[in-house]
Amino acid sequence: MTKITYRNSSIAAIVLLFLLLSPLQNKIDLQRKQMGFEQRLLLMPGQITGSLILGGFKGLAADLLWLQVEELFHSGQSYKMLPILRSVTFLQPKFVTPWAVGGWHLSYNISVMVKDHPEQEKAWIQAGVDFLKEGISYNPERYDLYFELGWTFFNKVKNYAEAVKYLELACKFPRPDYIDDALAHAYEKNGQIDRAIETWKKIINSGNSFSPTAVRMLHNLKTYGSTIVPEKK
Amino acid sequence: MVKAIVIAKNTFQEALRMRSYQIILVFALLLLGSSQLFSFLTPVEQLKMIKDVSLSGIEFFSALMAILASMTALRSEFETNTISTLLSKPLKRSDFILGKFLGMALVTTLGVVIMSVVFIGLILFKQHSFEISLFSALFLIWAEMLVIIAITLAVAAFASTAFTLIFVFFLFLVGHLTSYGFSLSGEMKNPVLQVIIKFFYNIIPNFENFAIRDQVVVGGTIPITYLLKTFGYGIIYTAIALIVCLYFFRYREV
Repeated sequence: MTKITYRNSSIAAIVLLFLLLSPLQNKIDLQRKQMGFEQRLLLMPGQITGSLILGGFKGLAADLLWLQVEELFHSGQSYKMLPILRSVTFLQPKFVTPWAVGGWHLSYNISVMVKDHPEQEKAWIQAGVDFLKEGISYNPERYDLYFELGWTFFNKVKNYAEAVKYLELACKFPRPDYIDDALAHAYEKNGQIDRAIETWKKIINSGNSFSPTAVRMLHNLKTYGSTIVPEKK
Repeated sequence: MVKAIVIAKNTFQEALRMRSYQIILVFALLLLGSSQLFSFLTPVEQLKMIKDVSLSGIEFFSALMAILASMTALRSEFETNTISTLLSKPLKRSDFILGKFLGMALVTTLGVVIMSVVFIGLILFKQHSFEISLFSALFLIWAEMLVIIAITLAVAAFASTAFTLIFVFFLFLVGHLTSYGFSLSGEMKNPVLQVIIKFFYNIIPNFENFAIRDQVVVGGTIPITYLLKTFGYGIIYTAIALIVCLYFFRYREV
């Protein structure tokens, strides 16, 4: 084979292979999009995380930022950790812990810091709710954030109708036993006593680890008309 | 083919004796062990960090091993002139390149396997079970290494040691960023520029295809179709790089 023939056949083979590669790359891109693989780039000049992201190690960058969030939390610098928390969720939106912990910080810890200003307190609680809702939009196929949001509505906002809505959604996915118990309590608080009794009965029949609690709750409901035992005078 | 296997065996043994290969492997194993340092975190966070650090470490150190060992395997033959002795024997240049590639693939596979065993052991120790999807991530890291080896050999066939090292490492970084560049091109209004970017997007190896770590560590599942497509992509790119390597090596004066 002459040099020219060899060169031409090499080029032809390379072009042919690239022609195969291009549609395959399109298919891979489409599948990555369908699977929700994040295509997000966050550059933080002067920070090691920026270099890690450049090298394709987004997860590692998110971990380092998460460690910073932990450090700031333990040193009581809740405000400072918010932008970093945002960066973590931006880099790895499918990592549910930052969404859950971030929502909790906003609704509970920061809102308590401004409890002397009810308007501000309300705004921080709402910020936590919005943060969790955003997290759900990235992770709609898991129980975690539905539960966190339902619990925030139940325990902090005291909006039991919304609590029921999100705890019911949490119960549509594989979940720990306490979620069903929380839902039963939300039903009760929302005035849906029949649904609460039905849920506790289900807990007892399914062998859920919260069965003893469910038995006690049903007993209290029948005896006192409430799950809370009245204090003896 | 038999001659290629002999070259592969020899390349494998030589690479195992390389100090840099051994040092990188030790560093990688130390890094895997150091992920235990996150014990102050909650168990869920700790496991996520261990998986992230380990998978990133396996990819990074495997890439480092693949680049350094492949480059040395070919360049040392030129620099010590042993290539002249080899090619004076009845040995085809294509067999030589194929042998070098297979040898390097074996060495890198061994490195990935050793690190993977330590990683899986660590996960078993921590959570007493492991997700099958972790194997998908490890499999694609291995497939990515085959592409890197082939590209390193292709560049080393015509360029100097320093250029090869810088170029391939730079390509490794750029290959992880092409998706971003391509997605940004969607915002551009100039169609000519879009075509140029699309062209480069298809030419430059897209290493981000192989990066499924971020999904795997948060419990995501990877469809087998995705693994097959990406593996197919890797094989085609490896073939392209080997053809380029053969072309330059065939007409190289030794």
